[in-house]
Amino acid sequence: MNIPEDLSHLCERIANDDQLAYRQLFIQFYNKLSRFVMGFTKSKELTEEIVSDVFINIWRRRKNIEEIKNLKLYLYVSAKNITFNYLKKLHRENLTDLDLVEIEPEDPFADPGAAMITREMNLKLKAAINNLPPRCKLIFTLIKEDGLTYKQTAQLLNISESTVENQLSIALKRISGAIRYTFRHN
Amino acid sequence: MVMLNQNSSSQNQFWSLLSKKLSKEASSEELQELQSILLNNPDLHHHADMLTEMWQQRAVNNSDGSEAAYIRHIMKHKDEFFVEENPIEINSDGPVSETNPGFFRTLISKKRFTVFSFLALIVLTTGSIYLFTKKRDTKLTAVQAISSIVTKNGNRTKIVLPDGSQVWLNAGSNLDYNNSVFNKDLREVTLNGEAYFDVTRNPEKPFIIHTKKMDIKVLGTVFNVRSYSDEKITEAALIKGSIEVTLKDRKDQKIILKPNEKISIANEELKTEAKQSKIIPAKNNTVRIPQIVVKELKPNPTSNIIGEIAWTQNKLYFEDENLEDIALRMERWFGKKVTIANESLKNIHYTGNFENETIEDVLSYLKLSKSFNFRLGNDNVVIY
Repeated sequence: MNIPEDLSHLCERIANDDQLAYRQLFIQFYNKLSRFVMGFTKSKELTEEIVSDVFINIWRRRKNIEEIKNLKLYLYVSAKNITFNYLKKLHRENLTDLDLVEIEPEDPFADPGAAMITREMNLKLKAAINNLPPRCKLIFTLIKEDGLTYKQTAQLLNISESTVENQLSIALKRISGAIRYTFRHN
Repeated sequence: MVMLNQNSSSQNQFWSLLSKKLSKEASSEELQELQSILLNNPDLHHHADMLTEMWQQRAVNNSDGSEAAYIRHIMKHKDEFFVEENPIEINSDGPVSETNPGFFRTLISKKRFTVFSFLALIVLTTGSIYLFTKKRDTKLTAVQAISSIVTKNGNRTKIVLPDGSQVWLNAGSNLDYNNSVFNKDLREVTLNGEAYFDVTRNPEKPFIIHTKKMDIKVLGTVFNVRSYSDEKITEAALIKGSIEVTLKDRKDQKIILKPNEKISIANEELKTEAKQSKIIPAKNNTVRIPQIVVKELKPNPTSNIIGEIAWTQNKLYFEDENLEDIALRMERWFGKKVTIANESLKNIHYTGNFENETIEDVLSYLKLSKSFNFRLGNDNVVIY
């Protein structure tokens, strides 16, 4: 298990040209940012390019990186902006629509052996998560997997906090439905 | 859908409060409220428990593939990460041609990168120097123009081949190629030792690496090859793209490696650790065939390091290796002869990751976990 290092400490080291700290930041956020970007671009190559851009910008402005109030949110917002710029350049603005986003969340139980659930239930959960409406799935993933707060999610997606709250409730309710279903058949 | 025998507003309240609790957005009043809903609706308990358990799985931070992505990122922006010191560039551009004898066609750069801190020592064999002078006055020189890049123990270097492919050569290794035919129909090099390759894509001209035990054919990819003649195993680890491996003693059989896989072949008929890996079984007959193992490349879960390529980041890294093998690694890494005088120490296993440390530092650290003594000479170390 990875214990994420305190970001402000990482920032301080990055500002001092510490490439190991930079690498740690990269490793910590690469897959998360890629998943977010991929939801819009649907292209692995383009996603890698965009996330690489996000991080090179961090390196270029490392001398004043400590001015960034919330580095985590900054990374996501920067990923979104760069993604939207690319899509604009490619005349694919339509893909910036949150209702068309295709997020692929992690497996609900990455290590089913460790949890008290059956394989069948794991599959049901996964299917339930995958069948969430796009916007709902995006919000669920950003909060659960990426650990963003309601407020950060709202800022990132330009929606209200109450929308975030509603969407997350809907997600949980639906996922729960899958569990109930499984129990009836057990 | 879940059907609950409660009024819908209380239900909606439940999901909203549970969401807040899980995402740590709930106030203490909200937590209390959730508690009282649960008290009045025992059948909701199960949902709360299961969702809570699912939510906590988030702690598993999946960083698969990000190490390789980081290397690609650094390579893409290398100018911004590698600070050159004392660049000595011997360069000649243009493609290979008869009129361009191009002894220095290879862009040979002696750079010291801050990230890699490669100390470049490039030795070109007399053969190519000879031909360089010879080639000018004779047309019939389709002969040996072997460029040989050699790293001594303690040195690592980076080279750029005439086709633009980049090679990081680890200590105690040499890479040879024939300058007069390289990049004509094929791009062929011979490796003895360890190197990390970033091959420029060109499907027309396959890139082939010959080693003692296997030949590796690629079209354009990133991978690491380790083939020291004094080590037990020859291995190739693939980061990106795909490579095709042909074994010297079984030319008919080709093995295709996918990204994040590595193949290991015993240099002699030795047993290789084959836990949790798919094994291509050796044929059950009298002919002894080296054992082959293909397994997934995985970063160490705590350090996030992929052992096979750690050296390209200037890390001396070993994972559960015995002191005898580590001694050999240190010998190359630091360029000092390392001897183990006490036989019983050879089989002690260590895991470690060192950067910028001296051999004395490394040994002192190792000593801390399982004790031994060592004596440091000018160019040798004795462990006892």
